[in-house]
Amino acid sequence: MAAEHASPQLLRGVDRAAFAVALAVRLRDRGVPVGLTAIEVLARALAVSPPRSRSALYWTARISLVRHQSELAAFDAMFAAVFDDAMLELGAHRAPPIGPSGEDRLAPVSGGARDEQAGSGLPWVSLPPVVAGAEDSDADFAVPERLPSALAARAEVPFDQLSAAETRLLGQWLAAAVRVWPARRTRRTAVATGGHRIALRSTIARSRRTGWEPIELVHVRAVHKPRPVVMLCDVSQSMQAQATAYLYLMRALTLATDAEVFAFATTLTRLTGVLAHRSPEAAIEQATGRVADRFGGTRIATNVQDLLASHHGHALRGAIVIVASDGWDSDPATQLAAAMARLRRRAYRVIWLNPRAAAPGFTPQVSAMAAALPYCDSLLPADTFGSLAAAIGEISSAVSSTRSRGSRDGTARR
Amino acid sequence: MAFSSIDEVRQRLDEVDYLVDEGTATALFFALTLGQPVLLEGEPGVGKTAAAKALARALGTELIRLQCYEGLTVSEALYEWNYQRQLLAIRLAESNRRTLADADLFTEEFLQERPVLKAIRYVGPSAPVLLIDEIDRADDEFEALLFEFLGESSITVPELGTFTATRRPIVVLTSNRSRELHDALRRRCLYHWIEFPEPQRAAEIVRRSVPAAGEPLIASSTEFIGRARQLDLDKAPGMAETIDWVSALSAVGVTELVRADIVRTLSTIAKTPDDRTTIAQSLDELGYPDAARI
Repeated sequence: MAAEHASPQLLRGVDRAAFAVALAVRLRDRGVPVGLTAIEVLARALAVSPPRSRSALYWTARISLVRHQSELAAFDAMFAAVFDDAMLELGAHRAPPIGPSGEDRLAPVSGGARDEQAGSGLPWVSLPPVVAGAEDSDADFAVPERLPSALAARAEVPFDQLSAAETRLLGQWLAAAVRVWPARRTRRTAVATGGHRIALRSTIARSRRTGWEPIELVHVRAVHKPRPVVMLCDVSQSMQAQATAYLYLMRALTLATDAEVFAFATTLTRLTGVLAHRSPEAAIEQATGRVADRFGGTRIATNVQDLLASHHGHALRGAIVIVASDGWDSDPATQLAAAMARLRRRAYRVIWLNPRAAAPGFTPQVSAMAAALPYCDSLLPADTFGSLAAAIGEISSAVSSTRSRGSRDGTARR
Repeated sequence: MAFSSIDEVRQRLDEVDYLVDEGTATALFFALTLGQPVLLEGEPGVGKTAAAKALARALGTELIRLQCYEGLTVSEALYEWNYQRQLLAIRLAESNRRTLADADLFTEEFLQERPVLKAIRYVGPSAPVLLIDEIDRADDEFEALLFEFLGESSITVPELGTFTATRRPIVVLTSNRSRELHDALRRRCLYHWIEFPEPQRAAEIVRRSVPAAGEPLIASSTEFIGRARQLDLDKAPGMAETIDWVSALSAVGVTELVRADIVRTLSTIAKTPDDRTTIAQSLDELGYPDAARI
């Protein structure tokens, strides 16, 4: 406190606007999107209450510039980097380095060669394949104009026998397959001819045409929204063959239904943001880069627990939860049973996709799979794109038929 | 009436028994002086709602509260027309053989204020505090409704025109992060992430809220809660739970924390059966071993 009085004002004579912009640019360099509004707020805040101590400056800048809890770490790092050593030599008058960030955006995104490398079977193989797949590169040049029937035939081929280009095409085909998705009734209403309740506002507004005599009654009915979906995809060693295909499934769900999607092996990675990218190639590539624990073991129970405890755990309420894994788990089965029980209580439906379930004579004998099964509504095979599409169809028909039947003849919904 | 410095915010909030750290004080101070809404986020029970309440008390002004829920619309949050009166007015005009002009039914006379419009049209000695509580519980359609208000402190009623606040209300939004808020909403607000208070300040807060409790009880129970938060719990106990727990303990006449009393009053801090089991099993590690077993 004494020091504060001794130095009445920090940053005396500093150009506040330049200072705010300099801080914002440094923050942007660390990946935090800082808007112009935020910079303006910081400049005004500095004017209103000139900081008298380092911590005052810290809070002023943090409250003005940061808009998200996940950005706090980056901000703290930036603040420490700027102010830890040199107090007033932070180059407030230096022009913000616009160059590099602008150039970054123009950098070439992907070439044909990179696609080939990324799609050659396993997405997280960091080394390029020893022998470049000749037919893959041919397929890239030949502009594959495939007929739906040809695709449908390839849809029954196991994932590991598909080329990268085929995987990509089938991924797009899958996105088209997720059209109908189970809905839930929201508390919001919209004008509809067959509605049950009268919308007073629209009725009175319309009665203006009939001399204020409310002749035409306007009805509203509840709006239905796609049911939230949360998908957890196992990307451990034992699931490498399926992982790319599952990424395409997760992308299809993200685009169609605002799903929350996660990949896990030993730790949980949220992929919702990156998979929503416009270009499928870029989305899959970024998602692959995001998953740090590829080649790892599997800890299903720990990851389900982590998801439940994190703030994304709220997204599970009333959601259709899809777990894609072969059930090889290094956590104890009792732990998984406890985690699945909690998941089941929070979710609307729990669906397990197992690539091995398609094999003839499959029985869930892996201890983790057996432990999780009582808490799953269904266990569906998922070894080909065809079975993935069938699984989607099954999910949407099973859930939505319950809904429509329930609303028609008044039976209680399960 | 407004505050002149950040230290004054702390002092004035202190007077109304709400203890803040420097960050929260800074956020509230700028919300006042810059006229920007402030978005408070944090784990449940860190005192987000209490901050808005305390701010209103410290400023001696009215607190207008809007509790959000799914399906919240214009008619519950901003304004609503009084349809019954409109219909009556139609009947009355008919019986008097008058004709109603367009504007006659959509005038301020028939307008019902809801919290946001009320905050805008508030007449009083000082600007009111508008608390938009748990905005994450409303759906994203509702967020879009607020943009005009958060940005310009005004509301446009299509039939009437735009109402603009003569002096900006102090707007506090809280969120529990059950859903990601849209960037457009974040952009219009100052942002502050409230952490759990450190043990010393937590003890001070409990002391204010439960004056009946003794010093050793407060110290040991806040320390216990601090360590319990490190456990893998569904719902980590917040400040609200701590206060409840200490009140419960002091209500049953406990002056010093012992294992039996913790087990007895566990329901005030553990809010699910799983958490109850977890805490009960970890009592040994938390420094309260079973005396009978030693």
